[in-house]
Amino acid sequence: MERREFLKKSGVLLAGTACACALPLLPAAAKSINVDSENTAGKKWGMVIDLNKCAKDCNACLDACRKENNVAMHGDKRWDIHLIRKVTLKRKHPAESPEISVPLLCNHCERPPCAQACPVKATYKREDGIVIVDHHRCIGCRYCMISCPYNARFFNYRENHEWPNKDNTRSSHGVPESCNFCAHRLDKGKKPACVEACEEINAKALIFGDLNDPGSDVSKVIAGNHVRGIREDFGTKPKVLYIGL
Amino acid sequence: MAAQNNNMEFIIMIITAVILLIPLGYGVVSLASSNDTQPFIEKPDEKYDKCVRDTEYMRLNHMDLLKEIRDDAMRRGKRGEITLNDCRKCHTSRERFCDKCHNVVNAQLDCYGCHYFPK
Ligand code: SF4
Ligand code: SF4
Repeated sequence: MERREFLKKSGVLLAGTACACALPLLPAAAKSINVDSENTAGKKWGMVIDLNKCAKDCNACLDACRKENNVAMHGDKRWDIHLIRKVTLKRKHPAESPEISVPLLCNHCERPPCAQACPVKATYKREDGIVIVDHHRCIGCRYCMISCPYNARFFNYRENHEWPNKDNTRSSHGVPESCNFCAHRLDKGKKPACVEACEEINAKALIFGDLNDPGSDVSKVIAGNHVRGIREDFGTKPKVLYIGL
Repeated sequence: MAAQNNNMEFIIMIITAVILLIPLGYGVVSLASSNDTQPFIEKPDEKYDKCVRDTEYMRLNHMDLLKEIRDDAMRRGKRGEITLNDCRKCHTSRERFCDKCHNVVNAQLDCYGCHYFPK
């Protein structure tokens, strides 16, 4: 074998081996995890937020969430946790629009970048579409916070001292949090706390239900209105949709 | 001269032996004189007569059971049959129940950073 030919052949061999070794590194689509609870099996939870019905000065859903999930409020925006929060938006271009108040929460993306980024599979998507973080397994690396394009994740930098709902857990410091559609309530057949609160004050701006079932409230609203997710161009396929965005 | 030396050695030996035996004797005496009949861990409330598993199983394997129900709830959405919230109905204090053994073997629990259990 000539020196030149030998170099060529070994180069090809080296490149081939490198490709074969890199194969497992290709980003695998995040697998969803089966759920056994009869209240959630076979469903795909989703939410529609009707911005025309959401009053600007109303915080009923936020308060209900804080009470239900023991969400920490330290009074300093660097440490505060928000599983659901409200922002005021105003379009300036091409023409000025009136201000709208938009509740923001985890979009429970159908293709969640947070779950793909998590190195220990602490964040994962359940079969019913809920994206959830298992605090037992989380190592606190915050990759999920960086990869979430919606800033839906907040980190517990401080110990939380509020504990209004003793039957539910609170988060200790060192783990991130985001909305989990009140999975503990859904598994028992109840609605998320925010949706219940919004219904109680008769605003009915949050519509929640099973996207797989064409007869559910949420499917009917989607069929009858123009709904949009936030930044659908990301390809994350959010399951929290807005009317009037 | 030689006899005196032997005597000295004998006395030093006795003194050393007594010093070495003092802690053992102290332990034996204090154990014998204590009338502590309290059980090591607190018995649950009397109106609950049965645990979710038998005592022998719980003594050795409660951590496996807890991990099992944790995975059922977190990963499979199966909640409610046995929960940590239910444990605290009978075992009303973690200082008089969980911590008793865990402190002795220095196996530290971090359940209660997030789960409520009365002190
Ligand atoms: S909104 Fe963010 S946290 Fe929620 S599923 Fe999507 S990427 Fe994950
Ligand atoms: S902070 Fe926790 S949940 Fe987020 S990526 Fe790291 S290990 Fe996963």
